[in-house]
Amino acid sequence: MKLYLRLIYRYYRYTHNIGKTILFAIKAIFKYYSPSKNLESTEQLKRLFKKIEIVIPEKGFVYFIDIHKTITRKNRTIDNITIDYEFILENSLNDLRKKAQKMRNQDFKEELIQTIEAIELLIDRIIALNIKNNCIQYIKNIKDKKVLSFEDALQRILFFNQLLWQTNHNLNGLGRLDLILEKFYQEDIKKNKITKSKATLLITDFCQALNNYYWVKSNGLVGDTGQVIILGGLRDNGTYFSNELTEIFIEVIKKLQKPDPKLILRVANDMPSNLLDMALLSIKTGIGSPLLSNDEVIIPKLIELGYEKKDAYNYCTSACWEPYIPGVSFDQNNVDTFVYAESLIQVLEQENLESINNFAAFYKKYEEYLERSINDFIRKVNRIHFVKDPLISLTSPSCYMNEYDIGEGGAKYNHFGFTTVSMSNTVNSLLIIKKYCFEKKILSLNELNKIRKENYGRKEYVEKFKKEKNRYGVDNEEVIDLTKKISRKASSIFRKQKNYLGGIFKIGLSSPSYITKSKFPATLDGRKNNEPFDVHISNELASYTEIINFAASMDYGENRINGNVVDIMMNPIYLTNNMEKIKTLILVGIKKGFYQMQFNVVSSEMLIKAKSNPENFKNLIVRVWGFSAYFVDLPESYQDLLIERALENESKN
Amino acid sequence: MKVRISNIQRFCLHDGPGIRTTIFFKGCNLKCPWCCNPENMDYEIKEFEEEGIVKKWGYDIEIKDLYKEIMKDKDYYQNEGGITLSGGEALLQITKYEELLKMLKKEKINICLETSLAVPEKNVEIAMKYIDDYFVDVKILLKKEAQNILNLNIDLYQHNLDLLIKNNKNITLRFPVNKEYTSKQKNIELIGKVLKENASLKIEIFKTHNLGESKYQKLNKQYQKILEISDQELEAIYKALKRYTQNVKIIEM
Repeated sequence: MKLYLRLIYRYYRYTHNIGKTILFAIKAIFKYYSPSKNLESTEQLKRLFKKIEIVIPEKGFVYFIDIHKTITRKNRTIDNITIDYEFILENSLNDLRKKAQKMRNQDFKEELIQTIEAIELLIDRIIALNIKNNCIQYIKNIKDKKVLSFEDALQRILFFNQLLWQTNHNLNGLGRLDLILEKFYQEDIKKNKITKSKATLLITDFCQALNNYYWVKSNGLVGDTGQVIILGGLRDNGTYFSNELTEIFIEVIKKLQKPDPKLILRVANDMPSNLLDMALLSIKTGIGSPLLSNDEVIIPKLIELGYEKKDAYNYCTSACWEPYIPGVSFDQNNVDTFVYAESLIQVLEQENLESINNFAAFYKKYEEYLERSINDFIRKVNRIHFVKDPLISLTSPSCYMNEYDIGEGGAKYNHFGFTTVSMSNTVNSLLIIKKYCFEKKILSLNELNKIRKENYGRKEYVEKFKKEKNRYGVDNEEVIDLTKKISRKASSIFRKQKNYLGGIFKIGLSSPSYITKSKFPATLDGRKNNEPFDVHISNELASYTEIINFAASMDYGENRINGNVVDIMMNPIYLTNNMEKIKTLILVGIKKGFYQMQFNVVSSEMLIKAKSNPENFKNLIVRVWGFSAYFVDLPESYQDLLIERALENESKN
Repeated sequence: MKVRISNIQRFCLHDGPGIRTTIFFKGCNLKCPWCCNPENMDYEIKEFEEEGIVKKWGYDIEIKDLYKEIMKDKDYYQNEGGITLSGGEALLQITKYEELLKMLKKEKINICLETSLAVPEKNVEIAMKYIDDYFVDVKILLKKEAQNILNLNIDLYQHNLDLLIKNNKNITLRFPVNKEYTSKQKNIELIGKVLKENASLKIEIFKTHNLGESKYQKLNKQYQKILEISDQELEAIYKALKRYTQNVKIIEM
């Protein structure tokens, strides 16, 4: 029932029409089906695959999801991952069965074989329909043949991708498709079975297929699908990998002008110059793709944390940006969101502020509360357990090696990752305390806290505090040191503990929750009650070089690897007029060491118009937390925040 | 040693080649009616009120701190970019920051200067030791009008300009065009003459605008709205100057 309601909610969120939603809900209730969650997970799969409605087009890729039928689970579902499509393309179901049959762990062996049978059942149903579409042959191949062509490979990826969505897995990444598909592409080129333009058409159809069911796939907000394709990247010999497919994917996504699927381009010092040009031309259109992920920083940090070298070089992401190694990871990188500002409010509300005589004493209190807060948070998340997941286990080479389901520790890496919010608001609040209460002694701590508690009734302080130059995101030693100090402290507390599978806890400086978690009292940086927290690593008052320098000076070591995105707002005309200089900015930024970077190329003027006349701006795409979405689909709070940031940013240029 | 500035603007893309940091110095000898940086006219630091908060326009900064700020973006400057000295009139304080220029040259950082040249010759001589590229204002060359409208001693200006030309400096003239003051036929001819006599000179022309109005209000200064010229009129001036040199370009400021 919960999933039925979720479906209805997602439909309403997409249509904004109550009448249509009621009609949809009535029809849906008759079609809705979910096997009992008390059944074995493989039995659930079989029953589901027996029932789902199959839709086959006359030509082109087969890709269908019966949105009314799904799987319910007793515990939390493993999602937010990228399965190992390379492994899928290398092995038919028969190959996988042979691997499973060699296992000594009878339970897991049986689980895998039953899962294979469930998939075969669905494939047989498709074949039995006897529809003339050449892609049916590719579906048939999945049973007992290796991938035979580029098109076959694309169809196989789509098939497994649709199985994930069908079985209630959210946020499904696509992985390093330029790398994975290279072999099949090159073979077809050699055999004259394909040309670059034919491949471009196929990739266009592939991306369009993935774009289907956009609203059903969307998780937090419309557009939040996690359908990320990873391109390019360093090889473990230090050279940069990219190929014709890298370019084709960028061109196709640029041309399609749809928010989904999305691209991440792994960037490095020695990447081809023209590839960055292509990426910038795509970014310039405003679609928010690709996000840039800096291999020069991320890979060494992954290795430092304990990921094997070959795995680190093969990283993808969990949905938006959290590094994730396909095939060998359980890593649930978005388990929950930690709010840094919570401990700050606790100090202000629970301590005798009169007895705090200097900033060092205040900061010490903050750290004490932070430690308590993190420990409480860990206790809470350690109650979360994930269910067994035969379908994902089937796609994970390390589960074959360890002979365990992925939910029971079958993967090589079993970590939890958290996103964090309000680091920026916390740092800025602390800097305000330092300056106003202890350096300039303009206000006592109690007076300052009173201003906050009164939600900035005295307006002048909002303006004053928000315009402080010394703030998060500038490359000033004081700001950098304070941010690093908090981050180090948090990191060390998280590091002391383990999750129920023996994995560690990872954190990062980016989070989707800057609005959803912001039902939160005012902070001391001019942010009022319930206003959004600051977005990722951003500062609209700082120059682009300041924010990049700041990001590059952060320490992403130890467990601080879970996504650290610099979020850039840029006016489209400004970017168009300065492409070469923005390219230099990015190249120098890569060298200096930002972690990741994404762009919102949009003007305040257009956003304001789109808000008041949504019907005329249905196709306007913006970058939200880590994905692209249609502006008109966003809740007002997100629209307002984007407008505000665009206005601030333009006043700087 | 300290200098008085109003702002350090990083990642400037319009004040010269490449990525630049522009330093706006306080104080100017001229009183151009269309000036859009009135906060930099006076050397004195003035207070103003904005949304109930008293703010100051300008501050003094130690040379070592200014150097540190400039060096934060050194990696972004690469071969082309660097710093731009602007204002106000940047050359008025050059004796105070010669040491800074010396340090920047040591780091091989490109230095651009935006100047009206309404400064003593000795200041220009110091500049010539360090500056790579010059953006020199050319506004009104008619002697009497220059004096009355801009407070510009045209002989001093000519002398300083000749000095730069004689020393083969890379100079781009910048010509702000507006209806009331600078677009008169006679003025255009005089500018043309300078261009003709000095083939190495480049010239960029642009429309003046009224974007500085709110700053005048904040500073309690009287603001005189300028009549902007049309695109066609600017085009006509462009063509007129083309008769004297090929190195003429319309830009937006």
